[in-house]
Amino acid sequence: MNESFFVVCCNRSEGAVKVKTLQTRVLIVGGGATGTGLARDLALRGVPCLLAERRDINAGASGGNHGLLHSGARYVASDMEAAVECREEGAILKAVAPQCIEDTGGLFVAVQGDDEQYVADFEGMCKKSRIPARQLDLGEARELEPLLSDKLISAYAVEDAAIDPFMLSLDNMAHALALGAQSIRNAKVIGFSMGNGRIQRALFLDETSGESFEVEAEIVVNATGAWAGIVAALAGADIHILYSSGSLLVTQDRLTKRVVNRLRKASDSDILVPGGTVSVLGTTSVTIDSPDDCRPTVAETDRIIEDAQAMIPILATTRYIRAYAGVRPLVLLGESGDARSVSRGFSLIDHARDNVDNFITITGGKLTTFRLMAEKTADMVCNKLGVTAPCVTRTEPLPASTMGRWTEPGLAPKSWVRNRDEADLILCECEMVSRNSIDSIIENMPGMRGNSMLKAIGLRSRVGKGPCQGGFCGLRITGHLYDQGHVSDEQGLTELKTFVGRRWRGFSPVLWGLPMVQADLQEALYCGALDMELDHNTDDFTCEDDE
Amino acid sequence: MTRNDDIYDVMVIGAGFAGMAAALFASAQGLKVVQTGATGGIDFSTGFIDLMGVHPIAEGKRWQNPWLAIEAVIRDCPKHPYGLLSKDEIFESVDTFTRFLAEQGLEYVGHFARNTCSVTPAGTIKRTYRVPKTAWNGSLALGKKAPTLIVDFHGLKGFSGTQLVETQKHHWPELKTVRIQFPGGHGELYPEHMAWALADPTVQEKMIAAIMPHAVDVEYLGFPAVLGLNDPQKVVDHLAELSGKHVFEIPTMPPSIAGPRLRAVFDRGLPSLGVCTHSQKMVTDVQVLDSGMFEFSVGTGAAKLSVTAKKAILATGRFFGKGLQAERKKLVEPVFDLPVVQPEAREQWHGQEFFAPQGHPVNSAGIEVDERLRPMDASGRPAYDNLYAAGAILAHHDWMRMKCGAGLAIATAYKAVKELMR
Amino acid sequence: MIFFDIGLTLALSICVIGIVYRVARWSGKWTSRTPHLSSGFFLWIVRAVKAVILDVLFLARSGRTSFLRWLAHSLVFFGFMGLLLFHAMDETVTATFFPFYESTLDPWQFLRNLFGAMTLVGLALMVYRRVRSTKLRLLTHFQDWAALLIIGCILLSGFLLEASKIMSPAVFDRMTDEYFVPGEVGDLTALKAYWAHEYGVVFSVEYPRDEETLELGASLDEDSCVDCHASTATAFVSRPLATALGPVAFALNTSRADQVFWYFHVIFCFIALAALPFGKFFHPVSTPINLVARQGRRDDLEEFQPSDVLRGVGMDACTRCGECSLHCSVAPAFTVLGNQNILPSEKLVSLKQFQTGEQMSQASLTAFSEGSRICTECLRCTDLCPSGINLQDLWIASKAQITKRAPSPNDLLRKKTAAQRARVFDDLCKSSSILPAVAGLADDSASYWACVQCTTCTSVCPVVAVCEDPSRDLDLLPQQIMNLLRMGLKEETLGARMVWSCTTCYKCQEHCPQNIRVADVLYELRNTVAARVRDGGASCEGNGESL
Repeated sequence: MNESFFVVCCNRSEGAVKVKTLQTRVLIVGGGATGTGLARDLALRGVPCLLAERRDINAGASGGNHGLLHSGARYVASDMEAAVECREEGAILKAVAPQCIEDTGGLFVAVQGDDEQYVADFEGMCKKSRIPARQLDLGEARELEPLLSDKLISAYAVEDAAIDPFMLSLDNMAHALALGAQSIRNAKVIGFSMGNGRIQRALFLDETSGESFEVEAEIVVNATGAWAGIVAALAGADIHILYSSGSLLVTQDRLTKRVVNRLRKASDSDILVPGGTVSVLGTTSVTIDSPDDCRPTVAETDRIIEDAQAMIPILATTRYIRAYAGVRPLVLLGESGDARSVSRGFSLIDHARDNVDNFITITGGKLTTFRLMAEKTADMVCNKLGVTAPCVTRTEPLPASTMGRWTEPGLAPKSWVRNRDEADLILCECEMVSRNSIDSIIENMPGMRGNSMLKAIGLRSRVGKGPCQGGFCGLRITGHLYDQGHVSDEQGLTELKTFVGRRWRGFSPVLWGLPMVQADLQEALYCGALDMELDHNTDDFTCEDDE
Repeated sequence: MTRNDDIYDVMVIGAGFAGMAAALFASAQGLKVVQTGATGGIDFSTGFIDLMGVHPIAEGKRWQNPWLAIEAVIRDCPKHPYGLLSKDEIFESVDTFTRFLAEQGLEYVGHFARNTCSVTPAGTIKRTYRVPKTAWNGSLALGKKAPTLIVDFHGLKGFSGTQLVETQKHHWPELKTVRIQFPGGHGELYPEHMAWALADPTVQEKMIAAIMPHAVDVEYLGFPAVLGLNDPQKVVDHLAELSGKHVFEIPTMPPSIAGPRLRAVFDRGLPSLGVCTHSQKMVTDVQVLDSGMFEFSVGTGAAKLSVTAKKAILATGRFFGKGLQAERKKLVEPVFDLPVVQPEAREQWHGQEFFAPQGHPVNSAGIEVDERLRPMDASGRPAYDNLYAAGAILAHHDWMRMKCGAGLAIATAYKAVKELMR
Repeated sequence: MIFFDIGLTLALSICVIGIVYRVARWSGKWTSRTPHLSSGFFLWIVRAVKAVILDVLFLARSGRTSFLRWLAHSLVFFGFMGLLLFHAMDETVTATFFPFYESTLDPWQFLRNLFGAMTLVGLALMVYRRVRSTKLRLLTHFQDWAALLIIGCILLSGFLLEASKIMSPAVFDRMTDEYFVPGEVGDLTALKAYWAHEYGVVFSVEYPRDEETLELGASLDEDSCVDCHASTATAFVSRPLATALGPVAFALNTSRADQVFWYFHVIFCFIALAALPFGKFFHPVSTPINLVARQGRRDDLEEFQPSDVLRGVGMDACTRCGECSLHCSVAPAFTVLGNQNILPSEKLVSLKQFQTGEQMSQASLTAFSEGSRICTECLRCTDLCPSGINLQDLWIASKAQITKRAPSPNDLLRKKTAAQRARVFDDLCKSSSILPAVAGLADDSASYWACVQCTTCTSVCPVVAVCEDPSRDLDLLPQQIMNLLRMGLKEETLGARMVWSCTTCYKCQEHCPQNIRVADVLYELRNTVAARVRDGGASCEGNGESL
C-alpha cells in the first residue's frame, strides 16, 4: 500500500512566498504509536485525518522502548491502575495484532539479596489486580530458562509478551492510509496561527528541504510524546514535562525464550526482553533537559550490566551489538519528583482549559496502552466534532501490511533461503537483507526519494541492526542507491555519514570486547582507508601529479 | 605440544605491516628469525602505504609533503613514535620495504616528498605515500582529469562506478562508467575469485572485448582491484596491450585482495630469507627463562608448539589485530600484560560523533616505549631488556586519522630491529 | 567297533551331502558376463602349481599381511594335516607306506605329539590374536570360536587320551594278556616295575624299583614290547601330561578314563568331520580351490571376469580371519556409524545371504546397502585377502542389485531443491546416533560472537571460486550460512548444497581473522543431517515435508 502524498487543496500566497496549504478535519502531530494508532482509530470511525511527523515513524519513545507487552505484574505494587490497564490492553492487542507480537510468556525472578518482603507480597498483589502469576519451583524455572542464576530465591510465570513497535506503527499507519488517512514525514511544526480561541493553521517546516507548508484542520491533536510540552507551548498552552531518558542494550543472541523480570520494586536494569533473534536488556531512568538530548551512555550501560548480571550471569560476558535510548515524557501533576514516582499513566489534556478549544494533547503512558490512549483521544476528538461513530479498535483486527514486513527478525534470511530470485544478491550480510527487498522498501516510500534514504531503509528493515551496525552494509547500499539513481552528487556520501553517525550513538556505549574489534575495523575502513571524516570541499591543494 | 628446539635470535610476534617488516629487516641483518601471527589487519589493508597525511587531526589539515607533516607532528606531539626516528631512518625503512616487495613482483611507486592522490571506492580522494604500480595510472588520470572509463561488474558488491562518477562529477567531468557482466561469472562475485579468473589471458580478452565498445573516447581504464592475485602487473600490462589504453586498479571494499597480495608476497618471500614462519597462529603464553630468554607457547590444540627466542618484537597491532584487548573497564595487552597508556575510564574512550575530526582518544592508547622502542613498565623503565615494540600498538598516535599507519609500522619495525642489534 | 563305524559313516554322510550342497550353491544369482581365459592351458597349469605351492602350502598370502597369523595358521595347517594323514588315516596312509607301522612306535609317537603340539600352539596364537585386537574381537562370531574350540577339543582330548593310556594299568593288562608270555613267576612283576618306571604306567600298587628288577624288566621289555612300543619319553606332551595327572591317576585309572577320552576324541573328530561343509569349516576345501583359481593374482583384472561358479567359490573361501576388515579404508566410518556391513568380512556374510536368496529383513538389507555404498572400491581388501578372494569383483558386481533393493535416501534428496531439503531435515527428529567430530558448535551462539562480517570465508573458498554462479549452484555461501546460524536459523542451512560440497580444505577457518570455526561448523552440519536421515527418517512434529 503506497503512502499517499499531498492533497493540494489551494495555494495561498503570503507576500512573495507561495506556501502550500493542506486541509483536513483532524491534524495529528506526531507519528509514534499513539499518533498512528489515533490515525487508524479515527479512520475507522470515518473521520478524515492527516498525520504529520517531524522525522519518521516512531522517531521518539515509540522507537526507543523495550518492545515489551506488559502483563502488568511489574506495576502491581506501585500503580494498580496501570497494572490493570496493561493486563486488559495486552489481551486486546494479542487478539487484534498477533503479527506484531510474539507471545513469549514471562518470568519474575528474585535472587539472593533481593527484598524478600516484596517477594512475599507479590502473589497477593497480583491477585488483587487479577493478573495471573503462577509460582514456579526454582528447578522448573531454570529448566525453562537455563541461563538464570543459580542463586534464585523465587520465580513466577506471567503473561508478558514481546511486541515489535515498528511493525505495529507501520501496520497502524498502513491501515489508516488504506482507509483514507494521509501522512507526511519530515514535517516539523514550528508555529500555530491562532484566532478566536482556536488554532486556525499549523505551520510546518521540512527540515531536510527547507520548505514550509501549512495545514488547516478543525481539530489539532498533539501526539508528540516527549515533545508535547514544546508543541503545546506554540499554542500558548502550558504542560510541565519531566524528560526521563531510558537506555537499553541489545545482545547479539536471543538469550531467553521468555521475558525475564526482576522480582523487586520497579527499578533500573530489571527486564530482559526477547526481540526476535536478539534480546533487549534495560532500562535506566536519567533526567535530561531536552528530549533531543537523549542518547545511551557508557555509565548507564555499565550500570545496567552490573545490576542485571545477578539474575542472568551471562549478561556480563555476552556480546552486545548496540545500545539505544528513548525519552519518557512524564507529566508533572504537582510536585516534581524522581521520575519513577511520577505516574506512568497517560495524560489526555483538553486545552480548552488553556482557551484553545480545538487543541488536545495526549502524552505519557506506555507502549502497551497506546490503543487505549488513542481510543480516549479519538473519543474526545469525535465529541468535539460531533461524530458519533464508536471506537472499534478493541475488536477490529489490525491487518499486516507490506510496509511493516521487513522489520520482522529472521524474515529476510528465511525468504532469501526459500524464495529467492536467482539474480538477487545480499546487501546487508548481518541480517541477510537482499537487494530486491531493499528495492521493494524504496518502492513503497515514494516520498522518500533523496531524503535520508539509508535511514528510512534502516527503519523499515533490519539493515544496520546486526553486529556490523551499518559499517559494511552502509557502504554497499550506498553503492546500490547510486547505481539506481536514487542519490546523486555527494548526497549518497553525506547520507552514509549521517547513517553511520546515527548508528554510532547506539554503538559507542558498548565498545568493549568484540564490538570494540568491530568498531576498530569500521573506523579503519571509513577513516583509515576511505578518508571519509575529512571535508573534501576544502582541498588546500589540488591533486596534480607530475609523471 | 611440539617443541621447537632451535633458539632464535628474535621472535617477531605479529604478521601485519610491522611484523612483516620486522621479520624482513631482522633477517636482512643476518639474525635467526621466527615469526608468528594470525590474519588480522593486513588482510584488510587497501594496499596503500601511508606515511603521514593529516595534522592536526582536529583541523583535518592535509599535507602535500609528508616530511614536513612529520616535522610538524613531532613538534606538536613530542611523544609521537615518529619522534624516535630520524627522517633518514624512516625513508630507509620504507624504501627497503618497497624494494623487497618489488623483488617479489609487487612494485610500489610514488614521489619522494609528495603524497599521491588516489580515488577510493567510496568516491573520496585519498592521499598516500606509496601506491601499488597497478594503481598508479589512476593517480595520473585523476591529476590530469583525463577521460577515463571505470569498469564495473554486475554482482560485485561495494563497488559502484556510478558512485565514483557522481561524487567526482564536479571535479572530474570526463569520468565515465560502464557495468558489464564478468566473463564466466554470475550472481554474487567476490574479488578473490575474479582475480583468479583474470589470471587467464582468455578471460582478459573476453573482458576487454566487452569493454571496448564503451571505451572509444577514453585514455584510461579503471578497474576494481581484481586484476590477478599474484602477478597483477602482468595482467595490467596485458590489458593495456589489448585495449591500447592506460589501465589501473582501484581498491575494493573488504574483502579486497590488496591485503592477501601483500600477505602472499611475505608468505613466499620470508621463508626464502630464512625466516621460520608459523602462520595463522597466535602466542598464547610467554615464560621468561632464567637466562632472560623468552619461551612462547604458540597456537592451540593439536597444533600447539613452543618457541624460544633471545629477543622479541611485539608487533601485534590494535584491537582488530588482537594486540590490545578492550575489557569493559580497561584496555589490556594480552601477551606480556604490559601497562597500556589509556584514558581514565571507558566513558572517555570515544567521542559522541563517529566522524568527529579530533578522532577518538582510545585510538591513541597503546604501549609506551622508551627511546629504544622498549615497552615500559608502570615505573617508567623498560619492562624487559630484550623486548621491543613496533607498529600500531604504540601509544600516542592515531594512525587512522593521521594517515600514518603502514609507514609508522614499517619505520618503527626498522628502528626496533636496529636497537635490537645493538 | 560299531560305535566307530556308525559314527564315521554318519559324519561322512553329512560331510559329503553338505559339500555337494555347497558346491551346487556356487552358481549364485549373478548377472555376470561370460568368462574367458586369457592365457593358454600350459601357462594355466604352471600358475596353478605355483599357487598350490606358494599360496596353499606356504600360505604366502597370509605371510604378506600378518606374521602372527601366518605363523599360527602354518602351525595349525601343518600340524593338523600331519595328524590327519599320519594319525587319523594311519591305517590307509601310514601303514601303506610303512608296513611295520605301529602308532606307539617312533617316529609316529613323536610326530603325533609334535604335530599335536604345533597345532595347539597355533590355536593358542589364533585365540590370542582374536582376543588382543578389540576390533577383531568384535568381528569374531560364534562359528569362529566354535572352529577353534572343536579343533582344540580334538587335540586336548587326544593328548588326554594318550596320557591316560600311558597311565592305564588296564591297557597294560590287555597288552600283556595278548602279547606277553611270562617265562617265570616274577617276570610280570619285573615288567610291570619296568613299565611303571620307564613308560609311566601307574599301577595301583607300588612296584619295586631296585636295579635287579628293572634290569630284568628291561630285558623282558626288549624281548616282547619294544618291537611295537617306543619309549614314551618321545611322547613329549602326553608323557609329562600323564606325570602331571599323577595325583588323580588312581581315579582316572579306575574310571577307565582312557576309554572315556577315546570316545570324546572320536566324537569330536566326527563332529569336525560333519561340520566340514558348514560356514567357515568348509574353507579347507574351498580356499585351496579358490587360491588355485586365482593363480597368485591380487587384483581384479578387467580381462578376467569370474564366472558365477568362481564367485561362489570365492564367497565360500572366506576363513573369517578379519584381515580385510582390519585394513579396510573406510573402517573409521564403521567406528562412527556402527554398521558392521561397512567392514568387508561382515559385508561378505550379507552378500552371501543376498546372493543365495536367503530371506533378509529390511533392516539388514538397508545395512548391507549402506555398507555397499560406503565402500570406495580401493582394492585393499582384495589385495591382502589371504584366501585370495576377489572381493573387489564381488562388491562391484553386487552394488547395482542391492542398491535397487534398498535404495539410498540420498538419491531422493538430491532431486529436491535446497528449500525442500531444508524442510525435510527440519521434519526429521534430532538424532544422536552419530556423534559429529565436533559437537555442538552450530548451536552454540558463542561460536559466532566474534564474526565481523568481513566475508573473507567466502572469498577464499575454492568451491565458491569454481562455481560460475555460486549462489545458484551452492544455494548459500559460507558467510551466509554463518549468519543464519548466528541468527539461530540453523534449520534453513541444512539443505544448502554448500554444506555438502565443502571439501573441508579449511581455508575459511584458517583465514578467518576472528578464528571462527567455519569448516568445523559445516562439517558438523553435515553430520547432523546424516544422522537424521539415517535414522530411518523418523518424523517429528516438524512443519516440514516427509522424505
